[in-house]
Amino acid sequence: MYRTALRLTGEPPDAEDLVQETMLKAYRAWDRYERGTNAKAWLLTILRNSYINKYRRAKSRPHTVDVDEIEPFTVFHDVADTDPEGTFFSRIIDDRVTTAIDALPDEFREVLILSDVEDLSYADISRTVGVPVGTVKSRLFRARQQLQKRLYDYAVEAGYVRPRSEGHP
Amino acid sequence: MSGHEHMDCQEALDRLYEFLDGELTPDAATAIREHLEACAGCVGLYDFERAYLRFLEARTRTVGAPAHVRRRILHDLFGEEAQTE
Repeated sequence: MYRTALRLTGEPPDAEDLVQETMLKAYRAWDRYERGTNAKAWLLTILRNSYINKYRRAKSRPHTVDVDEIEPFTVFHDVADTDPEGTFFSRIIDDRVTTAIDALPDEFREVLILSDVEDLSYADISRTVGVPVGTVKSRLFRARQQLQKRLYDYAVEAGYVRPRSEGHP
Repeated sequence: MSGHEHMDCQEALDRLYEFLDGELTPDAATAIREHLEACAGCVGLYDFERAYLRFLEARTRTVGAPAHVRRRILHDLFGEEAQTE
């Protein structure tokens, strides 16, 4: 919960308030929780709604592209000759990873967090975010690929991995 | 499910994360495994992407809520006595 709040808001004090607000709302709404459903997904739905009401509006990042139209792109083909196992990832520091996640468009960031941080199923993410499972799949795919590309660009810049063109002078 | 016998690399790429996330039906997952047995290029891609997802998990699941946040929430929910641990 806190991890997700932190990645959504980007600021520890905001994340703390968001988690606190979520827990209070959940406590008051406990009779509306459907037994047998994923309790974590239910809590995360409350957290996400609170975040949207309070923080996303205030931030309101401008939307210049339709995220669902962004073409996915795997960097595997660029490193297949030099680092096929992706060992360069392990050299990237935590701060760089969180900065890259924070820079994703909201629609990408939330599905990536719910999947990779919270380990929710596609069906639970679909219920939490309120979009069809097909949209979750496509956004998660694009989110992971966009994040991977940014981390790769950073790794190239930092000299952790050689881009393909340099391998073939 | 028939029609998966001749899965091409594009289809294997499209279903990459569904497979790695364990979201495919058993039949669809089997079709991917069969494709991977026959396609070294896709095996490389799948191994790379698996390593990437493990890296993401390892780097994003480390932070926990600070102790004072936990105390604050317990205090709000259950009153004064919860404040002292």
